[in-house]
Amino acid sequence: MRTNRTIAMLCLLGAALPAAAFDLGNIDWKKAAETVQKVQKANAEISEPQEITLGEGIASNLLGAAPLLDNPPVQQYVNRVGRWLTLQTERPDLPWQFGVLDDNDVNAFAAPGGYVFITKGLLAKMNSEAELAGVLAHEISHVLRKHHLQALKKGARAELLTDLANDAIKSKGADPRFSKLVSAGTEVYARGLDKDDEFEADRMGVVIAARAGYDPYGLPAVLQTLQSLNPGDSTLALMFKTHPAVADRLSMLDQEMSGQLAKQENQPDLAPRFFKALGAGKK
Amino acid sequence: MRNIVALCLLLGFAPALWAGELAQTIRPTELKDKPYSDAQTLTTLPPRSQVEVLARQSGWMQVKSTSFKGWVKMLSLRLESSGQSKRGDNGLMALFNVASTGRSSSTVTTGIRGLSEEQLKNTKPNPQALQAAKRYAVDKQEAQRYAAEGKLQAQHVDYLQGGQR
Repeated sequence: MRTNRTIAMLCLLGAALPAAAFDLGNIDWKKAAETVQKVQKANAEISEPQEITLGEGIASNLLGAAPLLDNPPVQQYVNRVGRWLTLQTERPDLPWQFGVLDDNDVNAFAAPGGYVFITKGLLAKMNSEAELAGVLAHEISHVLRKHHLQALKKGARAELLTDLANDAIKSKGADPRFSKLVSAGTEVYARGLDKDDEFEADRMGVVIAARAGYDPYGLPAVLQTLQSLNPGDSTLALMFKTHPAVADRLSMLDQEMSGQLAKQENQPDLAPRFFKALGAGKK
Repeated sequence: MRNIVALCLLLGFAPALWAGELAQTIRPTELKDKPYSDAQTLTTLPPRSQVEVLARQSGWMQVKSTSFKGWVKMLSLRLESSGQSKRGDNGLMALFNVASTGRSSSTVTTGIRGLSEEQLKNTKPNPQALQAAKRYAVDKQEAQRYAAEGKLQAQHVDYLQGGQR
């Protein structure tokens, strides 16, 4: 298969050469073939199992930075809500996994392959299940569109991702280059994703929440809350640094949602269930 | 105070956290009689009108001032960052902290952990915590059951185009 594609690409390359150079004796076929292979490698995509293994490593690193909240009912609640959302998406069969981090920072994270975490600090600023759904759906969208992998491709360790795609790195065992890739993947959280990817996740998030039967205005409501907080608060620092300005996100959603999702406007926000589910964890 | 919050939560009572919140219109905004686009327009508020928020219903917020009361589109408002804002603290943090202190053995403080930029760059993997997290994963059937319990119904909705395609 790969050989066929190489031949096809060589033919194309040949056809593209200027007529004056179309003297077979002048063409360095070996060099041409190497060029084609390089192009192929750069475009290689990692497989879904590789995506999941990489995401698992990144999730493990994230849990090294902040522990899981020791509150089983709350963890289960967030998984129930999140898993339902994923069933409304184009990747319902990933091993989706949700978690609440025991950290006062206000933030949420998605890792490739279906790992989604939100902090206790962010959860404590929400007022309904629809708001939780909106935030989880935003993170789910990052996984759906592989935004994290795109960020890695643009980073300093892009070649490691390419090597993983070409099976030159083993994700099982202790290949030190795999650990380096996982570290690079974790550092993406400190640097942030592409701003356009954040806007896309907002746009998709409100739709996924609406598909799941929730009031689609949960995500904008959370953003509005964040906008009203003191921007100098240290628990907001990384989230604000790695995302577009909240005012811009709200204004984009305002334009996009205006006249859309009208039929879903009266869907429930399940605020009572949200408070009950989180309160039950106190025993 | 903590007990009152806890009691409210136990009873499944959701406090209207935005009630009493101050906000400003960010553009000329129609004040509606009811939270619907085709409801009667009472007046048009100029940009930077000060209002008090009484309630939210999906994309609408019920607001009042000394001279009017009605509904406006939620996204035509900007909430004021007031020092006394109740929004942004739903009382759950107090509960989480109660939960943590009640399980003293499991909440060992580790000063170097955290989610700051520097800490994320220097973190080490925690496979045990990942395994613990996996125990809470739910399957499709459980997710569907819980959605049905909340009377959530799946809808067909297309993604928004974002003006780029």
